[in-house]
Order: sequence, then structure tokens, then C-alpha cells
Amino acid sequence: MSDVIRIVRRDWREWLIFIAFVGPNLLLFGIFTYYPLAQNGVLAFTDYNLITRSGRFTGLRNFETVFGSTQFSKILANTFVFTTVSVALLLGLGLMIALLLNQKLRGRNAARSILFSPTILAGAAIAIVWIYIFDPRFGFIYAILRPFGIVAPKWLTDPNWAMPAIIIVYVWKNLGYATVIFIAGLQAIPRELYEAARVDGAGAFDRFWHVTLPGLSPVMFFLVVTTILSSFQAFDIINIMTKGGPVNATNTLIFHLYELFFVQSSAGRAAVVALLLFVLMMVVTLLQVRYLERRVSYA
Amino acid sequence: MNKANKLSRRTLLKGIGLGAGAAALAACAAPPAAPSAPASQAPAAPEPTAAPAAAGPVEIIHWGFTGGLGKTEEKLATMWNEMQSEVKVTLQVQGNYEETAQKLTAALAAQQGPDMVLLSDVWWFKFFRAKALMPLNDLIKEQGIDTADFVESLWNEGVRKGVQYWIPFARSTPLFYYNADMLEAAGLPVRGPETWDEMREWAPKLVKKEGGTTKVAAFAHPGAASYVAWLFQCVIRQFGGRYSDQDFNILLTQPDSIRAGQFYQDTVNKEGWAIASQDVTKDFVTGLTATAMMSTGALAGVLRDAQFKVGTAFLPKEKFFNCCTGGSGLAILATTPMEKARAAIKYIDYATGNDGGAFWSQNTGYMPVRKSTATSESYKAFFEKVPQAKTAVEQLPLTEAQDAARVFIPGGDQIIGKGLERILIGNEPVEKVFTEVKAILEKEAEPVKQDIAAMG
Repeated sequence: MSDVIRIVRRDWREWLIFIAFVGPNLLLFGIFTYYPLAQNGVLAFTDYNLITRSGRFTGLRNFETVFGSTQFSKILANTFVFTTVSVALLLGLGLMIALLLNQKLRGRNAARSILFSPTILAGAAIAIVWIYIFDPRFGFIYAILRPFGIVAPKWLTDPNWAMPAIIIVYVWKNLGYATVIFIAGLQAIPRELYEAARVDGAGAFDRFWHVTLPGLSPVMFFLVVTTILSSFQAFDIINIMTKGGPVNATNTLIFHLYELFFVQSSAGRAAVVALLLFVLMMVVTLLQVRYLERRVSYA
Repeated sequence: MNKANKLSRRTLLKGIGLGAGAAALAACAAPPAAPSAPASQAPAAPEPTAAPAAAGPVEIIHWGFTGGLGKTEEKLATMWNEMQSEVKVTLQVQGNYEETAQKLTAALAAQQGPDMVLLSDVWWFKFFRAKALMPLNDLIKEQGIDTADFVESLWNEGVRKGVQYWIPFARSTPLFYYNADMLEAAGLPVRGPETWDEMREWAPKLVKKEGGTTKVAAFAHPGAASYVAWLFQCVIRQFGGRYSDQDFNILLTQPDSIRAGQFYQDTVNKEGWAIASQDVTKDFVTGLTATAMMSTGALAGVLRDAQFKVGTAFLPKEKFFNCCTGGSGLAILATTPMEKARAAIKYIDYATGNDGGAFWSQNTGYMPVRKSTATSESYKAFFEKVPQAKTAVEQLPLTEAQDAARVFIPGGDQIIGKGLERILIGNEPVEKVFTEVKAILEKEAEPVKQDIAAMG
């Protein structure tokens, strides 16, 4: 009996300590994350008007309108294409450049700085510059292609080229970030592992496959999670360069959310999209934690 | 453990970011409420005046234009502030029409709106529906504004059930612009085409192709984001169709409406003399298109930037002539105290009147909203100097108010604009697209109809 009391008392004391440490954090999350989240959930079932600050309960009507619209499947597909292609490019190119810049090359530091600089520039400014680069009649790309007799695509006004254009700019802006993280990861791999592999007669490819890649796995995991999440939220470049057009070719969930809220003034429908985005990001992250992290070795 | 650390730190950062973001947003939305320190220039020392303005001038916060138009608006406010000492107008630049409306929405939610705001044709009604705008009849009477002097089509658009909520200020209409040098070089008469059929005849002589790409187009259409639905509204009516009547009956699938849509599509996809442009004004001044329909509000900028002779003309006819109104007007917010509202109406009287209004419209290309302004001496002199502006003013009495589907249905402009993009760029069948757009518009019109019915 007394054993039970002791256990309960100890549990109780541990709880107190636990609350003391976690409480302030939880409070902040509660105010800034969970409360807005719950509010958003409520909003999704109303026709809330931002100007009058009032709304009626409308049941599932917002869900029907958002999911039933003819453009919705296109928007979902766009989001999927944008995220997978840009994440794949960021990771692939980031790793390649990191491997290159990890060599003892001349001008390595300068190259690293230049590569990283787009990351710290404002997306809006980058988008405006790229509008000129893409201009099919007097842009930079046009000027480069012209001597070879190649007709520059109408990047931003052709529905088939607008998404590639947006992805190019997005990857260009964020490549430096992925590269820098990869370089840090590469430098954390102990030299001895490479020496040991060499002694065992491993070639360059084997060293990459059996030493570098496993050594990079924690960094890779971190990058996969963060780049997917941030690509879901890419807004500035799309808003400046295409406004989701032409013909919804670059309309993604986050841009659609903006459109519904600010252009159509429909807070309820925007809340539905926000909810969907939240669920999608949650599922993607959980899947990654569940299946990807197993393969991560924190050596 | 390592992972847990990382995750919690990241989520915490996210939380902090959200908080900071929200604070930043709130800071953006909220106007610096009655600045205690003078914002830009120190106001002149209180001069002894005969007026009983013992407490100094009444200050009103006015949200207005950005960019070049914003600079002209700033000059207008400064001229006003310098010529009298009762009312001090502080202009706060908020961005384009959409951004201004978005910020106003946020500011109203935070109960920190300005006193007076510039709202576009498609936005003012939303705020009216939400009862955010002040009824102005009494103030107008008190100020003694001669309402009969205003151009009717412009004035009447801001009236609901006999009450004025929105006063025409930066009002524009579409205007046909042409590159006179190009028309001349092509051996064509140097004027605008009388009809769209004539434009069709001219077009092949204006188009220049180089290796499969159009170097110079005969005409340029904007995209949804640049109000293609505003310009096409005139064309659909010229063909005998309409977006809707004033009771929200959507008329997009009527034969003449579809014929107009087909014409638009053919100009780009079949006949190939027009392009879908991302920035029509830029394409026109850089010589990438020979002609275009643009707002009269673009005139000053076009004349400043173009390196060639610019001509303006009435819009081409089809079955009929038609040109619709557009642009923006001034509204006073319902939350504005009466003292400030009285001050605001004084400024509105000036800004739309024969002195201020003439300065504003001559320096931007917007329409003189009062008939007496257009016939004033100052305008006669102006027409001598800028004959292109005369066309716009002559076209003004022929203009018609816009269709309810575009201006009163929330998002109506963009819903129609996206449909037009599908026709112009996606080359989808016109009838199919218009049928779908009609269904969306009908659905979105429902709450507006209910609200209007409830308002009695």
C-alpha cells in the first residue's frame, strides 16, 4: 500500500517538474499556434465576413464549394508538381554542388557566398528581376538563345511554361540554403571513415555510397522535411510573377488560399484550404518521421 | 533525444515566427493612428485665423494611390493643405486597388481604419454591403456640392436607393490607343479603327513576325490580373451581349455574348494578330503591340514613356458602340467622427472640383468628373497641349455603367477574367467556358441578392 502511495507521490512530483518545464512553451504554442488553429477550424464552417466581423454557421457548404470547384483538382496537382519537382531539384543539385564545394578548390569561399546570396534576398525582388530575365522578347534568356536560332518560350504567359519558370526561380532562390546544410553535413563526416574505406579498397563511388550518403542521412532527413514544408508555403514568387495564372497554371493551395481570402473575401473557404494544407503537411511530416527516419543513422 | 530537441526548437521558432508575423501584419494594417509627431513635414505653425478653429486644423487620414499616381495625389493634398488651414489631409499610400481594399478589411477588423479611402469600382460595393461606408447625402447638401454638375454615369454608380456612398474621383474609361508611327509606316490611315472588322483588315499589315514568333502584334489583351474582364465588358456589349443585367441574371451564354468571346479567341488563336500580354502598357510603349485598349488613367504614363507618336480613339464598334466606366472613387468610412467627415467632404469637393479635379485629371489622364471642369478654360488649354486627352473626354458622355456580374459579385472580375484567360490562352471552347463561368457567377450572386433584399 505504502509502495503505491510512494509511486503516486513521485509521479505527482515528476508531473510538477514536467509542467514547470513544458508549461511556458505550451502556453506560447497555445496562444500562437493551437488557438488560431482551432479558430480556423470553426471559421471553415461559417460564412464569416471580415468587414462586419460576423458570420453564420453554414455547415459543410464551404467544403463543398472548395472541393467541388472545377479548378480544385488542377490546384492540387499544381501543388504536388511544384513540391516534388522543386524538392527533388533542391536536394539533387544541392548535394552535387555541396560535393563540389567541399573539395579544396580555388575560390571556394567566394563561390559559396555567391551561391548562398539568393537565399537572403527578398522573394519579391527576385521575382521582379526574373520577370525581365524570362521576357520572351527582350529578356536575358531570349538574348542568349537568339544567336542559336532558338525561340525563347513565353515563360510566364504560356500555361505549359509558367510552372517550370516558377520552379526555376524557387530552386534558384533556395539552392544556397540546401547546399550550405549539405556542406555542413559533409564536414561532419569523420575523415577516418574515408581512410578506412580507402584501406579496404573502396573506390570513389563506393566511398560515396557507403560513407558519404549514410553520413549525410540526418542532414538529408532534415532537408527533406523542411524543404517540403516550405515549398507548400511558397507564395511571394507566385504572387509577383504569375498571380497563379495563366489559366491557373501556377495556382497552388497557398495561393488559392490567398485568392479566396483577399480577392473573394471568403474567410470560410480560405479556412477550408488552410485546414487542408495543415492536414497535408501533418500527414507528409508524419510519414517522413515514420518511414524515412528509420533509415537515418545518427553516427 | 536529439530529435526531440530539434523538433521542439523548430516548432518553438515557428511559434515565435507566427507571433512576430502576426505583429508585423497588424503593424502593416494599422495606420499610424493620429501621429503624435508630424509624419512627413512639420505643419505650419498655427496661424491666427478668423475661423473658430481654435484647436488647429481637423486632420483626416486618407488612403490612396501608390506609384506615380500616388505622387500626383500627394501633390493634390499638399496644394489643398497649403491653400487653407481648416482641414489637413494626410495621404497614406497603401498600394494598388486590391492591396488598399485588403488593408482596409484588416484595418476595419482591428477597428483602426482611415477616415477617407479610395476604393475601386469592384471594391466599394463590398464595403457598402458590410455597412462600412457612411451615407453622404446630408454632408453633400451641407457642403453645397452641385451634384447635377457631375457626369451622370459616374455619379449614379455610387448611389444605392437614392443615397450616395461613393463619389467619383479617379474615374476612367477604356480608350483605344494606337502607335501612330506604326500605322503610318504600314500605309494605314492614322486614326483608330471605326469597327472591329476594320481592325481585322488592318491587322495583317501591322503584325511583324520573325522566325515563328510575333515581334510586333496588332493588338494586345491583358490577363485576368490586369482586368481583362473590364475591357472585354465593352466588347461583349458592342457585339450585343452582356455579362449580366442589373438584377444579376447572367447573360454570358446568349448568342451575341458567345460571338464576342469567339472573336476574342480568334484574334489570338486563329487569326493570330493579337497577343495575350502580361503587361499591356509596357508592351505598347516598347512597341511590341501597335494598338491596345487601356484605361484613360494610363494616358499620362504612356505619353511620358512612349518614344513614338501616340494616338487615341473611341473604342471600335461592332453591332453597337459601347464603352463602360471604371476606376475609383472616394468614400468616407462609417466609423469616421462627424467632425472629420465634414472635413473630408470639403476635401472631396475640392479634389473633384474645378481646381483640384482639373489638376488631378490633367496630370493623370483620369476623367474630369464634373461637366463644368471639362468645359473650363483650363481644359481648353490642356486639350491644345494634349489632344489625346480630348478623345477620352469626348467619349465620356457615351459611357455606360458596368454590369452587376463584374462589379457587385464578390470576385466577379476575377471569375470572368479567368474564364477569358481560358479562352485566350487555353484556347478552350467559348461556349463551354462561358457556361461554366455563368454557373459560378450565379452561385456567387446568391448571397449578394439576399443581402440586397434584406437591405430593403
